[in-house]
Formats: sequence, structure tokens, C-alpha cells
Amino acid sequence: MLTPAELVWLMAAVAKGDQAAFERLYAATRAKLYGVVLRILRRSDLADEVIQETYLKIWHNAGSFDPKLATPITWMVAIARNRALDVIRKKGETSIEDEPAAMEAAGEEPNPLARREMTEELKRLLACLGQLEEDRRRMVLLAYYSGWSRDQLAVQFDAPANTIKTWLRRSLLEIRECLGS
Amino acid sequence: MTMDEDRDGFATEYVLGTLDAEERAQADALLLVDQDFAAKVREWERRLGELNVLVAPIEPPAPVWDRIKAGLADAGQSGHLHLPEVAAPALRRDVPGAEIIHMTHRMQRWRGANIITGMMAACLIGIVLVRENRPDMLPPELRPTPRAVVERVVERVVEKPVEVVREVVREVPSAQPAQLVAVFQKDEQSPAFLMSVDLEKRTISVRPVAADRLTDKSYQLWIAPQPGAAPRPLGVLANDASGVSATLAAYEPSVINNATFGISLEPLGGSPTGQPTGPVIHAKLLEVPRP
Repeated sequence: MLTPAELVWLMAAVAKGDQAAFERLYAATRAKLYGVVLRILRRSDLADEVIQETYLKIWHNAGSFDPKLATPITWMVAIARNRALDVIRKKGETSIEDEPAAMEAAGEEPNPLARREMTEELKRLLACLGQLEEDRRRMVLLAYYSGWSRDQLAVQFDAPANTIKTWLRRSLLEIRECLGS
Repeated sequence: MTMDEDRDGFATEYVLGTLDAEERAQADALLLVDQDFAAKVREWERRLGELNVLVAPIEPPAPVWDRIKAGLADAGQSGHLHLPEVAAPALRRDVPGAEIIHMTHRMQRWRGANIITGMMAACLIGIVLVRENRPDMLPPELRPTPRAVVERVVERVVEKPVEVVREVVREVPSAQPAQLVAVFQKDEQSPAFLMSVDLEKRTISVRPVAADRLTDKSYQLWIAPQPGAAPRPLGVLANDASGVSATLAAYEPSVINNATFGISLEPLGGSPTGQPTGPVIHAKLLEVPRP
């Protein structure tokens, strides 16, 4: 992965229509974005489509990227995740009984090897997540990493979907306060 | 719970990913018209985005890049359709955001079959407003582009006719004269035509927003004054994307208010029979306050 500064430079070139820069941007970020969407979609055919749409959107919208508001990778991941979430929500719920393996895998914290790459921001975020009750933390991570819906979480955590919603919102508020302090 | 807390939670869950499809569409519309909501979403994307450092990278299959490259070439060839300057609709820059939010919040309370189309209409109106004011904010797929395959798209239109929920009209408090607007919807993402009616002058104008450009057929505008009444022709849309303006002088405002409007695909120049012969899409009017 290139440094954030290099990615910003590439984004600026892409915004001007530089296809070579776009290819480098793709090479530098495709595996991360694919990893993110495949985790949510769990089907490579869907992930392929979402990645294509994501990069076309990146190509067209690179001019609206503002390095003061986000890092390139945060911006790109947000586009990819949103697209993946749209797809999975429109597809309807995947029954979690159908996919016990996926359910187990989703509970794990992804890729512990990447800890070396941890930023200070991530360490703080993980510390704040660590202050949540274990169930609440798992809920947040399953939603964020694996795209679980409130209904899926309701089944897994044996609580009404509305309660899940309240817990999620409260947990995230706690995290925001924790990060702010 | 106050509306602000509610909106906060909405932004949070949008980024977390736990909104359902309907709520996500609503949030997408809010993102286009509400800077404050967009800022909250960006903050959460930044906070939680850190988590992606821990996601294991996985190489996508090689053909994915080929298809992306092919997509770039397509986009390069087609270019953008430039909409002509059309006087209507006169929507004020600073009003729509607040109204749309208000409408979508109200609509959350509704239940029944109409809720989805109603909300979708509000989202589409939101998108249309942004198209009017800030086209640069829109993703390229929502900017107007010419499309080649006409029949296929129109078929899909017929499968999903829009009935804009009329009760919205009563829910928008406004002491000011209102402009009536309807969206003819092509699919969930893109509005095809924007219709606006001036009740005082009894005029109507329709223009394509993301409709296919035709060369050997025409779109024709119709009015059905009462439910079940035979449609009457109002005008044929110009094929150069300028749309059509027509008079409604023959109709009382109360009739216009309750009429159903339709756009059909006809042979070049309009229906030869005086009745729609091709696929029709319908819309009813939605009131949008204006300055």
C-alpha cells in the first residue's frame, strides 16, 4: 500500500483524467477494497460487480475528494462499503442458519497480523471498543465488518430488532465520547 | 427523542451499515440535500474507517480490472447530455433541504403499501432538487446521460409505475403559493421526467431529467382528469431534451390537483389514435412550497 500522501497525489491525477494514475490507484487499493466488500457480500460474483462499480464511481468522482475531510482510503472504502451494503440490503436477508461458517468467521477480529500497521487513531478506537460490554462490541463489529442487519443481530443476540437498534446507537455514542476524551 | 438525536443515530447507523434498504435510500437523499447530515456521516466514516486497517486484503480476479477499463471507455465515449435552460421549476436553493427532511420524517410514521413509493418520491425530488442546484454533488449515474436502449428501459418503467403519495401535500405546512411537482420514475435510482405545474397560470411543463433521447419515437404527455377517465393528450415532448410546455386552461385547479398525468412512448410525432398506444408511466402531483 502506498502512503496516504502518495494516494492523495494519485487522486489528484485521477481527478484530471489520468488513466495511468487510476491504474496505479487501483493496484494500490484493490485488495483492501475487495477484502472489505467480500466480507460483507460473501459472494465473489457480487463482490466483483461492487468493485467495478466502486472504481468507476471513484474515477468519476475523484474531483470531489477533499483531503481535508478524509484520507483517500477512507473515502474509497466508504464508497465500496456503501455499495456493498446497498446490494446486500436490497437482496434481502441471508438467513444466518444457512451460513453458520460465515457467522463464526464474522465474529473474529479480522487479520490480527495487520496490527503492525495500526495507526494511533485505530489504537484509540480499539481501546474505546474494548470498554464496551463484550456482546455490544461484537454487535458493532459484526455490523461494521460483516454487514449484519438489525434483524440478523436480533437473532444472534436474542433481542428484538428495536432493542438492537438502541444498543447499537448507544454503543456508538459511547465510542464517540470515549474518543473525544 | 429529539429530531437531532434521531438524525445523529441515523447517520451513525448509516455508516455502521444497519439501516434497511428503505432507510438507506432515505439517508442517500438526505446526504444530497443536508450538509449537516453529510458532515455527521463523514465524521463516522472517518472514525470507524480506521477499522478497515484490520481487514485482510484479498486480490480481486484479474477480469475485474478489464471490465473497469471497459467502463471507462464507455463513459468517455458517451459524454454528458446538457440540459437546456428551462424556466420552471422555480425551486429556491435554501428551502428544499428542510422540506424534504420534514417530509421524510413525517413519512416514517406512515404504514402501508404507499410508504415505499412515497418515500422514494421524496428521495427522487431531493435528487432532482440537487440536480437543479448542485449537479456536481451527484454521482455520475444520476447526472443526465444519453442512453441507447429505449424500449428496454420503458418496459421497466411500466413495471414500476409511480403513484406519488398525495397525502404528502397535506403534511407540508406552507402559507405560500405552492408549485406542484411530479416525478416520472424510471427506476429506483433515476428520475426520468420532472413535471411541474403552475396552478395560477394553469400551465404545465415536463422535461426529461434522465430520459433516453429518442430519434424515431416521441414521448407524449397525457392527463386523466378523473380516475378511470380516458386520457387526453396535452402535448408531445420535443426530442431535443427541451421537453414540452402546455396549457391547462381547460381544467379547474381542483381538477388539476387530483388528475393523474401520464407519459407514453409513441410513434414519432405522437399517438395516431388520440389515445396512448405505447407503454405509459403515471405520476400524481406533489406539492413543493416555493418562495
